Amino acid sequence: MKWGMVVDLSKCVRCYGCVVACRVEHFLPMGSDWPRLMAVEPDRNGTPPVVSTYPVRCNQCQEAPCVRVCPTGATYKRDDGIVGVDQNKCVGCRYCVVVCPYQNRVFLAKTKDGGFFRGKGPTGFEKAGKRLYPHQDGTTGKCNFCMERIDAGQAKGLTPGIDREATPACVNTCQARALTFGDLDAFDSQVSKMVRERKGFQLHPEYGSNPSIYYVDTERIGKVDLRPGLQAGREQTLAERI
Amino acid sequence: MEAHEWMVRSTYQTEWIARRGILLWLAMYAGGLGGGLYLVSLYFNSFIGMLVSLLIVAVLKGGFHFAYLGRPLRFWRILFRPQTSWLTRGFIFVVGFVAFSAVQLMLSHWLPGTIWEIFLKALAGLMAAGVIVYTGFVLNSVKAVSFWNSPLLPLLFAMCGLLGGFGLTTVIALYGGNVDLHAAEAGSSGLLVINALLIAFYLWRAMQKDETGRKSVMDQMRGMAAPAFWIGVIGLGIVAPLAAALFGYLSGEVIPAVLMTGVICEIIGGLSVRYCLLRTGLYKPLFPRPSYLKP
Repeated sequence: MKWGMVVDLSKCVRCYGCVVACRVEHFLPMGSDWPRLMAVEPDRNGTPPVVSTYPVRCNQCQEAPCVRVCPTGATYKRDDGIVGVDQNKCVGCRYCVVVCPYQNRVFLAKTKDGGFFRGKGPTGFEKAGKRLYPHQDGTTGKCNFCMERIDAGQAKGLTPGIDREATPACVNTCQARALTFGDLDAFDSQVSKMVRERKGFQLHPEYGSNPSIYYVDTERIGKVDLRPGLQAGREQTLAERI
Repeated sequence: MEAHEWMVRSTYQTEWIARRGILLWLAMYAGGLGGGLYLVSLYFNSFIGMLVSLLIVAVLKGGFHFAYLGRPLRFWRILFRPQTSWLTRGFIFVVGFVAFSAVQLMLSHWLPGTIWEIFLKALAGLMAAGVIVYTGFVLNSVKAVSFWNSPLLPLLFAMCGLLGGFGLTTVIALYGGNVDLHAAEAGSSGLLVINALLIAFYLWRAMQKDETGRKSVMDQMRGMAAPAFWIGVIGLGIVAPLAAALFGYLSGEVIPAVLMTGVICEIIGGLSVRYCLLRTGLYKPLFPRPSYLKP
């Protein structure tokens, strides 16, 4: 079993719903965003006026560089492919932040967490978050595919990606259905079908990290064909195609 | 373009150079300097040099690292992942160096010439070599920053460390340490030339590697790191010490002020080399820029 996600770039409407859902789910402090939306717009005098949006989050790499370099074992990979962080073990060296090719890890510095309303004290939501989902200053964090939801859901016999209670919050929230979650190892799962039939691609495969997040619909990426192995003549790396 | 266009272009690494990252930069240099000084002092059998190197590594390097960590009181946890993490290996080198060299210095003071002293010198020397090069391997292991992902980096750090070591040994010789001043000067000058060639070769290789590597090099030549590169690395780090050495050679006499100036310039040069490397480390864009956008 390997949990994975497919992002359909043609469907994302840049509503930031996934970002907000994640913040609520994990009580993320200010300055710490696990999923992010990259939005590319032309200059004001540029044409055509197209906005391309790319939702990104921790790629849950199967050969995760962050797991390899972590000197304390705080970053670990589970059998189901999810890469987690044990903040009780993290020493705050930030090696994982630097080594991540996708820049999807966040260091939670004390200065960054000024609260939602700086100088006004914590809100009730923040107070609840500190009890229910404490984030430690001076450590790193990142998207964990809502593994708490997955574990709790599976314990109840639910299927992640199909039953909402066992599915990551961002996937549940996505009103445009741009995010699909499921088991990449299962041949008949929705995510496997999408990767197979719509030629899903990973970001920067040349690093050999084997991400568990795939993207489909290359037309949104400025007509650059990113799919590996489709260039005639020879294999090109993603970097070359960029 | 707007500010939220994060990683659409090449993005600088900042964690290890901006804000508190400056402490890491200083720690990296202190490790190279301390380790290099120990190895050079070992060659000259200079007790003072070994003592100073121990203090540099234990106090400066250790202190900077301790101050940098987000959770410094958990530092002991770093010890347990040597199988995959260069940071753990480096920590072992540092701890080993401090422990072995401290005991060796005690033996050198009270029981000189014993087999244990020689054995500990060898052990501490090995650890010192590890302290010098491990930061090169730490950076080299970051595949995403193509400017760092080069097998030349540990070699460059080793040469820079030894150069700093020779520089400080020259100062020790000036102030009556048990060191052959001319040999230290000659070593320093030779390493300056080797370093200059190595830096040029490193930059050339990075230029050839890929677009991101080329951008990193151009940032050093013409971009935001250009002052540090041209003034720090080239001017103060290479040209000024070489000029000082040449002046000493032509005049045929030792002028302490000139030598001291040369050594200070070498230290600034060593700091600048690491600063430029860390400051211009670039990640590739996460997604390509759409073709309708201007570059």
